[in-house]
Amino acid sequence: MPEYLVKENALADFFRELTQDRRLLTPQGQGENCRLEETDPSKVSLEYTNTHKSPKECFFPQTEKLLAFSKEADKPHPNEYRDLGDKAVATVIFGLRPCDARGLCVADKVFQNDRFTDPYWKGKYEKTLKIGLACLNPSPQCFCAAMGGSPFGEAGLDVLAYPRDKGLGLKTLTEAGEALIKTTKAEPGDLKSEIADLEKKAIEAQGPIDHFVAINERKIMELYKAPHWPTTAEPCLGCGVCTFFCPTCHCFDIQDEANERGGIRMRNWDTCMSALFTQHGSGHNPRPSKTERIRQRFMHKLKYIPIKQDGVRGCTGCGRCVVMCPANIDIRSVAALMAQTQAS
Amino acid sequence: MSNLDTLTQKIREKAKSLLEGGQADVVIGYRTGTVPLMAAPFFARTPQDCDQLVWSSFARLNLANYLPGRTEKVALVAKGCDARNAVGQVAENQYPKDKLFILGVPCSGQVDAAKVAAKEPRPIQTSEETDDSIKLTGPGYSTDLKKEDVLRRNCLTCAHRTPTLANELVGPEVPSLPTDDFSDLTALLAKSSEERLTYFKDLIKDCLRCYACRNACPLCYCPVCFVDETRPQWLGKSTDPMDTMTFHLLRGLHCAGRCTACGACETACPVNIKVREFNRVLDKTVKENWSYEPGLAWDQKPPLTVYQPNDPADFIK
Repeated sequence: MPEYLVKENALADFFRELTQDRRLLTPQGQGENCRLEETDPSKVSLEYTNTHKSPKECFFPQTEKLLAFSKEADKPHPNEYRDLGDKAVATVIFGLRPCDARGLCVADKVFQNDRFTDPYWKGKYEKTLKIGLACLNPSPQCFCAAMGGSPFGEAGLDVLAYPRDKGLGLKTLTEAGEALIKTTKAEPGDLKSEIADLEKKAIEAQGPIDHFVAINERKIMELYKAPHWPTTAEPCLGCGVCTFFCPTCHCFDIQDEANERGGIRMRNWDTCMSALFTQHGSGHNPRPSKTERIRQRFMHKLKYIPIKQDGVRGCTGCGRCVVMCPANIDIRSVAALMAQTQAS
Repeated sequence: MSNLDTLTQKIREKAKSLLEGGQADVVIGYRTGTVPLMAAPFFARTPQDCDQLVWSSFARLNLANYLPGRTEKVALVAKGCDARNAVGQVAENQYPKDKLFILGVPCSGQVDAAKVAAKEPRPIQTSEETDDSIKLTGPGYSTDLKKEDVLRRNCLTCAHRTPTLANELVGPEVPSLPTDDFSDLTALLAKSSEERLTYFKDLIKDCLRCYACRNACPLCYCPVCFVDETRPQWLGKSTDPMDTMTFHLLRGLHCAGRCTACGACETACPVNIKVREFNRVLDKTVKENWSYEPGLAWDQKPPLTVYQPNDPADFIK
């Protein structure tokens, strides 16, 4: 797929052209206030580190009402389910960081695969074109390259953009992305070697972390039975911050809120850090303490998901949990302990 | 040697001697975090572990939170607030006094990471502190901040910076701050109840119900929190504003008269909600009505958990 250029003075027109028949979401605000918002094409910013929350909520909101039911015989449609899922709107997201786009791919394989299709995710995901913004200067907490990604990673994106002379360099990655850029006045240009140089520099700025690779070589039960889990878990508060902010965490809880007249069915983000997550109706809990819960989170990210998803980890190195865990349980340190596990 | 280094040294020495002497099975303190502006909870069980213990102005979590349910003998590295909460855990029968050793650290206040981010929005690579300043470095820059400009707001009105009931203090007492006059609440309390409701609704509008505030709080030790009750379920699980408000109001009231203003809830909140605002109003009410401050005596029960026949209020008679 080819590359294109957008000059500084053509940027506003470019974003206007992108959004002719779809809404535009871009990161707005700084730091903890940075979030994906519907944006006027003249107000797109390239000056942000990353959104505070991951973009998963665009497709998998924290609370999504799925359907309604009524038992009242004298009202329309008694005893029928009525669809309430969020309506999918044609959208282009500009400014996804490659780590987050990759995170969406991991979640997408959970919501759409050869066994299940989740209509609520699918509807929104299929109607969204995704333009990434590569990271020329990765943040100190970033480690996407160690997770098999790159500051110029392409997974999950239709187009990859990067800041270039106050304008943009673009590389189209899918046919849909190519068709989208063709609707704009972006000029063709050969940027292959420039992108390769910038990518190399950005990866070098992150520095290598080797222990994630070593985990691949350990057997599941060796890791599972490793002696460090109780001490790794000891400072854990059991809040859900790591899971709620994670771009790949996708677990949910289906709840009916109903009374004698009817009600609604909704799904809400859930978190494996909560004891309630695995509490059985019998009262038994297979993950009774935070040791089992912490082990599950890291095993899921670094071992189980790679097994199910052809080696792709359930962590993309975005660094949100690293920065936001109140007790500083750092996945890089936990991975180092897992990598040190002795073969049995 | 800076005061911080001296305190670190003393904590390590004392921690080692407590472990070696069998007075403690574990010393709960802080280690240097893996990210800037962070001192992380750390559990030292061997003399070698003790070399990782540090004192810093990034020690924001309240370590008394780790006491309930623990069977080991604990030596707790404690700021003034942590020490008062440890005393509260004993008073509320959550941890036995004879197993507890409070290693008190006179505290000059802890740094608010959000205030730092407001002054230095660029990505921070490293943070180094002296007794009164913090040096931040990041890609292509270095910034010095005065600590007193970036302290947490609860530290600015702290009533007991030097632990009051410690078994031992690791350093000299720090000067007391002027008595808290709750003047920051004047504007809020002047509002009508409708306006106050609007204020509190707005305060929690970004709440994710992750419960980091509750889980960081040493007062929230219930085996099952009311929000987690399932048979029957007490509260909806969605981001419905009424359910979210119910959580915050009930938690606030459960903590009334027990909160030591440690600020762990606000430290843990991932979306910067000023969670303490609920409790701050209640702290004032409790102080004015019962002249009570929590955590100052081993046998002192929180006023809202006791009944006395001579209670001046009419409603109960």
